[in-house]
Amino acid sequence: MSLPVRVGAVLILALVVQLTVFVDVRVAGVAPELLTLVAVIAGFFVGPDRGPVIAFAAGLIWDMYLPSPLGVSAVTLALVAFAVGSLEEGLFHDSRSQLIAVAGLASAAAVVSYALVGELVGVRGLIDLDMLRVALIVGVLNAALSPVAAPIMEWALRGQADRR
Amino acid sequence: MALAQRTGRSRRRLILLVLSAITLLTLDLGSFGPLGSAQRLFRDFLHPVTNVAGAVATPFADAWNAVFDYSDLQADYAELEAERNELKGQALSVEAERAAFQRLLDATQITYVTAVDKQAATVVRGAVGNFDSDVITIDKGSQSGIETGMAVVTAAGLVGRIDRVDATTATVQLLSDQNLIIGVRMTSTEQVGLGHTDKSDPLIFEIDQGLDWPEDNDLSLLPKVGSVVVTAASSRYPAEIPIGRVIESVNPDGEGLSLTVRVEMANDVTNLGYVTVLLAPGVDQVPLGPVVPSTSVPLDIVENDGAGQ
Repeated sequence: MSLPVRVGAVLILALVVQLTVFVDVRVAGVAPELLTLVAVIAGFFVGPDRGPVIAFAAGLIWDMYLPSPLGVSAVTLALVAFAVGSLEEGLFHDSRSQLIAVAGLASAAAVVSYALVGELVGVRGLIDLDMLRVALIVGVLNAALSPVAAPIMEWALRGQADRR
Repeated sequence: MALAQRTGRSRRRLILLVLSAITLLTLDLGSFGPLGSAQRLFRDFLHPVTNVAGAVATPFADAWNAVFDYSDLQADYAELEAERNELKGQALSVEAERAAFQRLLDATQITYVTAVDKQAATVVRGAVGNFDSDVITIDKGSQSGIETGMAVVTAAGLVGRIDRVDATTATVQLLSDQNLIIGVRMTSTEQVGLGHTDKSDPLIFEIDQGLDWPEDNDLSLLPKVGSVVVTAASSRYPAEIPIGRVIESVNPDGEGLSLTVRVEMANDVTNLGYVTVLLAPGVDQVPLGPVVPSTSVPLDIVENDGAGQ
């Protein structure tokens, strides 16, 4: 199976789980954001060159189900994946605990960035105190899910991590 | 050297992605037809998959909610217990079926706007993201004649508007979204105004545009408490759809100029199982009149002045 097919399959799987399981399964009304998690892990594993491209695709398919205009999640996740890839390249070495920490922080940052970009293009009511609560919970949930998501992404991206 | 080249390539690629996103945003905000069609096609393609996956995931979701929503379950239990005492002698299973049937009837037996065709629908999904709590998905789409902008109602009154339509599903922007502005008429005074849901309370509707405080502070001219508020003929939706009942009229500026009317909504849009779509195309909002006084000089005055000079 080629890389685009494997990555595409993982993106669709994440989307379907998000649309079915995490519509009802929520913590304090907040769902984990699987496509954000995929984007962050892509940035972590393949760096700032290819990571944002995968993140952009993840954001684009997520945008199709959100009420915000097409492109808001795509640009947000691409930027977050670029930041994760750049930081990881300069500061970190691959390890599971670092991945969990990065997944949590970057996911929370992605929620805040989504709200900022959304407001910028005219989606009202995204920035308030509740946004910080949502960002915090998404960060914790995505961090908790990252040990499960990481092996799936490793399979999808196999051979790519070495090419950074 | 290699690192610098790679960094430069990464940045160029990122800039390209950002430009692509800006292009998509611009096209989407401009309602570019082919882009909307491509999105609908993608969602329609994935719909059977999400349907099957949803059925598989339901027991897991139910188990999760049973464990973590225990306090809600306790409240539900207390309510059911009261109901059981009230309806002694009736089998609970029959009662549950009746309740579900009644809920369906409540959503579909529309006694107002009788001239418009209607389509009953089931709510299949609530919010998918963390910032779209005012959106639901229903199981009817363009194949059932549903179009963007149509009014969504229950027997009690307006619920929201159709926001996005796919072949077999549609998303509804609920009235609880304070960005959804509705043109309404107060039946006790025949005044029309624009209103939206109160941000802090999704069950309260505020009419805060287009209304003036009565001259001479004559309180008898205020909308009567308990009187009905319906959609106005000048609104985007068919006229006479109930919104709710007036609970108070307030003067927000304290200077006796503007008037805000607070309305208790007829529907609790946070708990919907079935809805009805009124198959009347939505139209653009008709302005109620100039909010800001026009400073332009009428054409006939200009012509008269010109003739005199």
